[in-house]
Amino acid sequence: MSEPRAVIDVSGLPDVAFGSKNAVWWGTLGFMLIEGSTLAICAVTYFYLRRNFDPFPPGATPPPDLPLPTLSLLALLASLAPATLTSRAAKRFDAAGVRRWLAVGLVVMTAAVVLRALEFPALNTRWKSDAYGSIAWFTLGFHLSLLVVNLAESVVIAAIFFLGRAERKHFSDAADDACYWFFVVLVWVPLYVTVYLTPRFL
Amino acid sequence: MSDETLTTPGVAPPPTETELDARLALQRTWWRDAGPLRWLREVDHKAIGLRVVFTALTFFLLAGILAALMRTQLARPEHGILGPDRYDQVFTVHGTTMMFLFAVPVMMGLGLYFVPLMVGTRNIAYPRLCAYAYFVYLIGSLFLWISLLTNTGPDVGWFAYTPLSGPEYGIGKRPDVWAQTITFTEISMMAFAVSIIVTIFKQRAPGMSLNRMPMFVWTMLVTSFMVLFAMTTIATASIFLASDRLVGTHFFNPAEGGDPLLWQHLFWYFGHPEVYIIFLPGTGMVSLLVTAFARRELFGYTALVLATIATGFLGYGVWVHHMFATGLPQLGESFFTGSSLLITIPNGLQIFCWLATLWSGKLRVRAPLLFVFGFFFILVRGGLTGVMVASVAFDLQVHDTFFIVAHLHDVLIGGAVFPLLGAILFWWPKWTGRLTSERLGRASFWLIFLGENLTFVPMYVLGLRGMPRRQYTYLAASGWGPFNLLASAGAALLALGVLVYLANLVVSTRAGAPAGDDPWDADTLDWATSSPPPAYNFLRIPVVQGRYALWSRTADAPVVTGLALDRREVLVTSTLDATPQLRYELPGPTIWPFLAALGTGVTWIFGVFTPWGIVVGLALTGPALVAWGWPRRRRATEVRA
Ligand code: HEM
Repeated sequence: MSEPRAVIDVSGLPDVAFGSKNAVWWGTLGFMLIEGSTLAICAVTYFYLRRNFDPFPPGATPPPDLPLPTLSLLALLASLAPATLTSRAAKRFDAAGVRRWLAVGLVVMTAAVVLRALEFPALNTRWKSDAYGSIAWFTLGFHLSLLVVNLAESVVIAAIFFLGRAERKHFSDAADDACYWFFVVLVWVPLYVTVYLTPRFL
Repeated sequence: MSDETLTTPGVAPPPTETELDARLALQRTWWRDAGPLRWLREVDHKAIGLRVVFTALTFFLLAGILAALMRTQLARPEHGILGPDRYDQVFTVHGTTMMFLFAVPVMMGLGLYFVPLMVGTRNIAYPRLCAYAYFVYLIGSLFLWISLLTNTGPDVGWFAYTPLSGPEYGIGKRPDVWAQTITFTEISMMAFAVSIIVTIFKQRAPGMSLNRMPMFVWTMLVTSFMVLFAMTTIATASIFLASDRLVGTHFFNPAEGGDPLLWQHLFWYFGHPEVYIIFLPGTGMVSLLVTAFARRELFGYTALVLATIATGFLGYGVWVHHMFATGLPQLGESFFTGSSLLITIPNGLQIFCWLATLWSGKLRVRAPLLFVFGFFFILVRGGLTGVMVASVAFDLQVHDTFFIVAHLHDVLIGGAVFPLLGAILFWWPKWTGRLTSERLGRASFWLIFLGENLTFVPMYVLGLRGMPRRQYTYLAASGWGPFNLLASAGAALLALGVLVYLANLVVSTRAGAPAGDDPWDADTLDWATSSPPPAYNFLRIPVVQGRYALWSRTADAPVVTGLALDRREVLVTSTLDATPQLRYELPGPTIWPFLAALGTGVTWIFGVFTPWGIVVGLALTGPALVAWGWPRRRRATEVRA
């Protein structure tokens, strides 16, 4: 058909975008929904099972220790600073900035993951002691797996940037990665309250 | 064959030179690889979608064979074909396969195929993720069936209640097989769901605002959201169960403060929405077929959309009606009776909208539409018996009897299988370029329809007369023999109908009449391209001018230009109004999703036997995931259409 037809010419549109314009961002949101609702199920299960215990925590089990878990929570929150700066640098297409803040972020994240791995004994119970121990370990463990996945993803993105393979779209990926990191950290706050504070104060 | 329907039907003006060039360039860019590993590297949504549909239908047939075995065993009292242990495995694997390996996947597969075409884009968002998800689904399904054939088939029912499925009573590895199958398939369905949601939100053709989306796309959107929430619940619950069995946690162990009822809550919080996950796409197909065969716009489009969304929400508010027999507090039970009755309102509304459309349309009664009529008849019966069992007093009488078996089959077969069979006949020309035989189509409809009624109506009677479900046999003195024989004869008729249906598909693929690009004068964009569509779907991305894209298209309808021809570029548009925002490059074929799926398979399957399975599996999966996303160097040229 020869061309008297009206056309919409899209060649002038950008080929990289950030946030809700970007398809990948929506996918990331989808995975946040999946993981967020898994953690919500953990919390619901926690309170559901709690009704079976009187006293709570059960028997001679002391409530969880607070120092190490709180430290690890603080480390997680601290890691939000480099995540924010990475995201800002990415939105400016500033490769040097992304490299710098990703590197800092990786150090803080790794510290947070190591602290988390050391955190299990602070629960003062074991997964096979009773149902309370099971759900406490599971919640902590599942969140740890999210941290590890996110750390791995950040390592890969850092590798892409440090090995000079970054294209424009990778800036968008770096920003999405930071966004996901925010989710993983912030979602822990209510769970920290659930697992560590409610046995003591509620 | 043209890539786009032309303004004057039947008269195809010769393509211009630039158009030919564009086609060649697109063909090269969106190539479907030819090498021996092609099948493993494929990322085209049509290929993956058909693959999922084909696999799911195969499992439908396999589970149908199990149904035939059960009906043969129950055809007369004290029949000796299946012993109690074998019967337990057979009904569990039948139910599990039908629900998890057939019904949900087949709907998601059709969504994978048709959503990108109907919204007018070139591929699904996340093509590699979908490739991965298919293999994960396949591996999980094979695991279940190989276990059945080696006498390790799960035998705890399709809902695997604890404590029967727990470490104390669930012998050997059978319940583990169930739990892992669930995890596998749920992971893959979630991946499909995310891809479908993003495609719908971000890749619609310009002009297709949300309120112009075809009903089928709406139902896939709501279904995909339900998959995200429901499948998360069951996947988590099945991991709880697996860890109770494998590493000694106590989630469901009452002796250590766990709770078997927790399993029931989690299972049905998933399980009831599951029914709507199967049923909603069925309604989308009904809308599609009704529109095409009544040749008019849907009566009450907005009402249908709202009803679909309402069903999506209400589906989560009724789970406890599966647990009336567990002795929950009275007030709670009344609430769930109320919510269960409430959900019939949007369902009823939908049925009236379709009837009004049919009533006022210029009806063409073809075989696909017959299946829609069958849907009305059987679904309404299933729905009405559903209202009956939503009342606690009645439910306590028929709980765990064949009344429930009849009810659930009426809903699932009427609500999902009939629309599916109709839609496949409708879509066959899209896939093969050939029409199916009307005569065989009608014959198969009548056989399946009569067979269904003859199978399940007697089961209601059996249930009212007290025949329990999940029993491998019964005594002659019970008086259940004659109705069981009737039900088994019905199942034979049904099976014959399915065979005729399949024969129709096979024969017409070879010898059917050529269909042309749009044999039904349908309204959705999938018919605006050739049948079967080229790898890139559309030569030019269309611009949508109305709710019924092809019916409202004017002769001078604008098209999109300026997408790259030498890269797999798609157009990203805004979520509400579908105004162009971005050109976005999708990844091409690669082997890594397949290898990552193998790693996932090792993790879950060998994890059943030793924790090292998990370590080894993850060690295999990790590198595959990295390689999957690793950027490749590219040429710097750019070509645009
Ligand atoms: C095609 C014809 C079919 C026949 C003849 C058939 C027959 C049966 C029979 C005899 C049972 C078990 C009865 C018992 O409790 O002892 C059963 C159970 C079941 N069927 Fe079907 N079925 C058919 C199709 C389907 C379809 C299409 C689905 C779902 C999409 C389905 C889902 C189920 C489920 C979930 C169960 C319950 C399994 C359990 O108790 O754990 N069936 N079916």
